[in-house]
This record gives sequence, C-alpha cells and structure tokens, in this order.
Amino acid sequence: MAGGERLNVGAGQDRGRGVPGFLGRRGPGRYHRLNPLTKATLATVTAIGAVVVGGLLGPALLVAAAVLLPALAAGVLRRLLLLAGLLALPIAISAFVVNLFFFPGGADVLFRVGPIVATAEGLGFALEILARILAISGAVTLFYLTTHPADLVVDLERRGVSPRLAFVANASVQAVPAMVERAAQITAAQRARGLDTEGSIWRRVRGLVPIVAPVILGSIAEVEERTMALEARGFTRPGRRTLLWAPRDSVPEATVRWLMLAGLAGLVALRATGAWPG
Amino acid sequence: MALRWIAALIGFALVAFVGIVVIGDFSAERAADSWALVAAIGLAAAFVAYAATEYFQTGGFGSIARQFDLRTVVLVPIAIAINIILGAAVANALKIPIYLDSIGTILVGALAGPIAGALTGFTANLVWQYIIPPPFQGTVAAPFAIVAAVIGLMAGLFARAGWLRPRPNSSGGALLIGGLVALGIVVLLAVYAYVRFYTDAFEFFNPDNADPLFVILGWLIAGLFVAFIVGFVALLVVRRDLTVAYVTVAGVLTGMVAALISAPISANLFSGITGSGTDFLVAAFRQAGSDIQVATFQQGLLSDPVDKLVTFFVVYLVLTAIARRTIARFPQGERLVEAGDASAGEGGEWRGASG
Repeated sequence: MAGGERLNVGAGQDRGRGVPGFLGRRGPGRYHRLNPLTKATLATVTAIGAVVVGGLLGPALLVAAAVLLPALAAGVLRRLLLLAGLLALPIAISAFVVNLFFFPGGADVLFRVGPIVATAEGLGFALEILARILAISGAVTLFYLTTHPADLVVDLERRGVSPRLAFVANASVQAVPAMVERAAQITAAQRARGLDTEGSIWRRVRGLVPIVAPVILGSIAEVEERTMALEARGFTRPGRRTLLWAPRDSVPEATVRWLMLAGLAGLVALRATGAWPG
Repeated sequence: MALRWIAALIGFALVAFVGIVVIGDFSAERAADSWALVAAIGLAAAFVAYAATEYFQTGGFGSIARQFDLRTVVLVPIAIAINIILGAAVANALKIPIYLDSIGTILVGALAGPIAGALTGFTANLVWQYIIPPPFQGTVAAPFAIVAAVIGLMAGLFARAGWLRPRPNSSGGALLIGGLVALGIVVLLAVYAYVRFYTDAFEFFNPDNADPLFVILGWLIAGLFVAFIVGFVALLVVRRDLTVAYVTVAGVLTGMVAALISAPISANLFSGITGSGTDFLVAAFRQAGSDIQVATFQQGLLSDPVDKLVTFFVVYLVLTAIARRTIARFPQGERLVEAGDASAGEGGEWRGASG
C-alpha cells in the first residue's frame, strides 16, 4: 500500500482485534488522541474565524491560541512551522508582492520601481492578507499533522455518513500517491522507448501527452477491476455496517465542538450587524 | 421527469426574484458578489425543488441515487486524484494562468450525471485542503468547493443533453453551420465581456497606453484568440466531428459561469491572489487601475473560459479513447456513445454474421 510506512506507525498499541494496522493506533500526545472531528472543527473555525475577524491582531491572537498552543502541547510545533511555512510560501510571496505594489488607489508612496509604486496602503493590506493566509495554512497543517486521514473518515462513518462517501474520501487519499507512482513508472517506460523529458520546453510539453494519457486511461481502466472486487466483497450490501473500531469521543469534546461553532456563529453575527469594529 | 426540471427552474427563478428584490441595486461596485450569492442560493434551491418533486412523485430519489452506482463511486476517487495532481502541478510548478484542476470533475459529470459531478467537485476541493498530505495539499482549495460543484453540475447537464456524443463523419454543411454558430456564440460572448468589463479600465489596443505591458498583453490575448479560431476550424475540418463545436460552446459557457462565482470568493478572501500563475494577470489588471474586485473578475473572465475549454477538450479526447463498452456501463454512458447502429464500429468475429 502506498504510504505504508507512515500508516504503520504505532500499530498494535491500542486497537481491537482484526483491525488493520493503520487504524486504532494511539497518537503520541494528548492532542493527537482527541476525536478527529474536534480537530477538524478547530481547524475550520480557526480558518473562517481569521477571515471574519480581519485585521492583523485578531488572526495573530487566534493563531497563537488555536494553532501554536495546541501544536506546542502536541509537540509538533517545529514541524508545523516548517510545513505551514513551506505550504503557504508561494501564495504568501505572491500576495505580499502583488498587494504591496499593485494596490488600487494607494496614495502614500513608499518607494518606486520603474512604473510600479509601492504604497503604504498596499503594505497594510498585504500584511492583513498575509495574516489570513498564514492562519488558514497553520490551522489546516495542525490538523494534518495530528490526525490520520483514515481516522477522520472512520469517525464520520460512525456518525452516519454514507459508507460510499467515506470510501470516496479514503480512496482519494490513497489514489494520489498511487497515481504519482504510476506516472513515474510510465515516464520511465516511455524514456526507455526514447521519450525526451529533459530537452527544450517545447519538447517537454510535447512529452507530456505520452505520459498523461496512459496515466488517466490506465486509471480509468482500473475502475472495472476495483468495481468487481468491491462487489464481490459485499460493498453494495444494504443496511448498517458494524465498525470494528472507531476513534473515541466524549461528551466534553462534543460540548467544546458545539461551543466553537456557536462562537463562530456569534462572531459572524457581530460582524454582519456591524457591532464588531471592522 | 419534465415536472422535476420545471420545479427546479421555478425554485431557481423564485430565489433569483427574491434576491433581486431584496438586494435591489446591482449597480454598486460589489455587484458581482451579490450576483454570485443569488446564483449559489438559487442553485441550491433548484436542487432541493428537484429532489422534493421526485420524492413526491416516486417516494424515493431514484434518478439521483442512480448516478451513484458502484462504478461511479470507484471512479470518483480517481477523478479527485486527477484533479489534485494536475491542479497542484499547474499551480505550483508550471505557473501558467489557467488551473486544469477540473478534468476529473467534468469526467464524472459527463459519465455519471450532474449531481454526481457536483458532488465530485465539492468533495475534491475539501479533500484537497483537508486530507491530502503535502506536497499536493491545496492551501486555498476549500472555499472554491462551490465553484467546482457548479462546474461538475454543468458538465453533467451538457453531457445529458448529448453535447459530448461523438458525431464522426458529419456532413460538410452540418460542420459549416455548427462551426459558424459555435464561433458566433463565442465571439459574441467575448465581445460582450470585453465591452462590459474591460474597456472601463483600459483598452487593449490603444496606442496611447502608458504601459508597454498592456500593449504586449493585448497582442498576446489577440494572438490567443486567433490561435483559438484557427485551431477550432482545423480541428473541425480534420476530425470532421461536429461535437467539436458543442464542446467549445460548453467549455466557454462553463468557464464564464465559473468566473462569475469564483471571482468574488477569490477577491474577498484572498484579494484575488491564489499563489498560481493567474496572479500575474491580477497584478496587471490592478496596475491598469481596476480595483481588487474588478481585477479579479477580469482575470477570471480571461482564465476560466480558456481553462474550461482546454479541460472539456481533454475530457472529450479521454472519452473517445475509452472503450465504448466501458463508457456504456456508467449511469450516463449511453449519452456519450454514437447514436445509431451500436455494432457499426466493433466488427470482430461476428462481423456480417447478423446479415
């Protein structure tokens, strides 16, 4: 299985019998062991909250409280900063440069580069957007670092999400590395047949077709086999399934989730009515 | 069947009417936001009306459930992976001002139906942001889930109407008329979009343009347009396939709707900057004097139709490359294979035996 190395971390510590190794492992920290939905709610509320609050101070406080603090508690602060930084880097650079130099109606000129003007208004706006992007990226990265995708999907299935949707979410995660691997194999095979993948740009673009086409068509051809395999294993059987394992949940956690959502709704209402200074 | 679509239309019209009455003034500078909001709520209302009518008529959701047979459920993860890998590659590595992140969505919409397509698009963007590990993780994908859903919905509707059905060996007259009609629609849309949304800030071919950037940009876009027309005519003549005309119109229409819905999201949340190749266009339009909302919309109206045109053609080529029996097993597959004699192209050992 693709990504198997990561999936087997900590296997066998705390799981029911007959459950595959990648499920039911205990996370290393208390934050890891929270219910996946709680962590997903925190990530979503933080991301939306940062947008709704606006400004610089709001998102900064939000990130400190809802991203950095939990990350510190979970012991993933270093990896979080590194990964979130790397993830947000392209969009952050772009957002900063474009908003600094191309801010419509900016009058307070900081400096000029040829016909392009950097304005103070642009700088303020750029920082604001930057804070927002970093908050979103940090919140999502914290969720990713402390949650195994399969845990979230199993938990959703336990809550009544259709097994088909759960399958789609789970299989997508596995399909991405599998398809990258397939692409690598096909590239190697085509190069063995003399495909030029290192020449001029035009040659490389032309070389895309004999790689992309077999990847897509091969994946679609595989649908048939998978359909029959699932059919043979009773995937389409009606009725409820018995889950051998599901992440733990508790009443306090559920309360916290609802409180977070209520807080977000309150924030949105405050902003919408103009009671919150924008 | 017809009743359900009428109910959906009434639902949409009702929301549109209420929205227009409530908002009242669309001339304000944030008009695009309001239009997108009304369109999104209207689509949701249309879907609810359709489903409710079907439930009232049949006591179930047969026509919707049929779009989610096991084959489709297996195809969707693969489609999502195609979306994510190509989208991430184009946005992070190639930096060209299009997206190419909806090939899978449109593929599912065509093969399985509008609702399946919409759900694929929606799920794909959520999965992209929340559960795909780096380096493919999308930092700004989830807010655009609604756009992806609309793209999948439109692709499903076009395919349901038979627009993606191959029409090989079309007669010369049909090709001429179809080609002219398709070109006419595209040119009309382009001229309207240009006059309505671009002339306020600057003119592409004004020799007095202060900035050489816009002279270059203008000629680049003109060149692209000429290349499009030449390519379109060439493809039509070489393939002798009238579907090329249908695919073109479907792509451009989908792109314009996508731009209408995505631009306000992009402008309000991310100031129009998403870290991909489209940022250069936003910067250029802002330099021309458009404000953030307008510049983002101008970029979208340029990028999206080109992007969806390319995507629809890729999907059409993929569909023609898949074996016909594979296609026909999908819920909407019958609408993607040639009309008429089913055994015409696949002779085999029984060729002529049926006499």
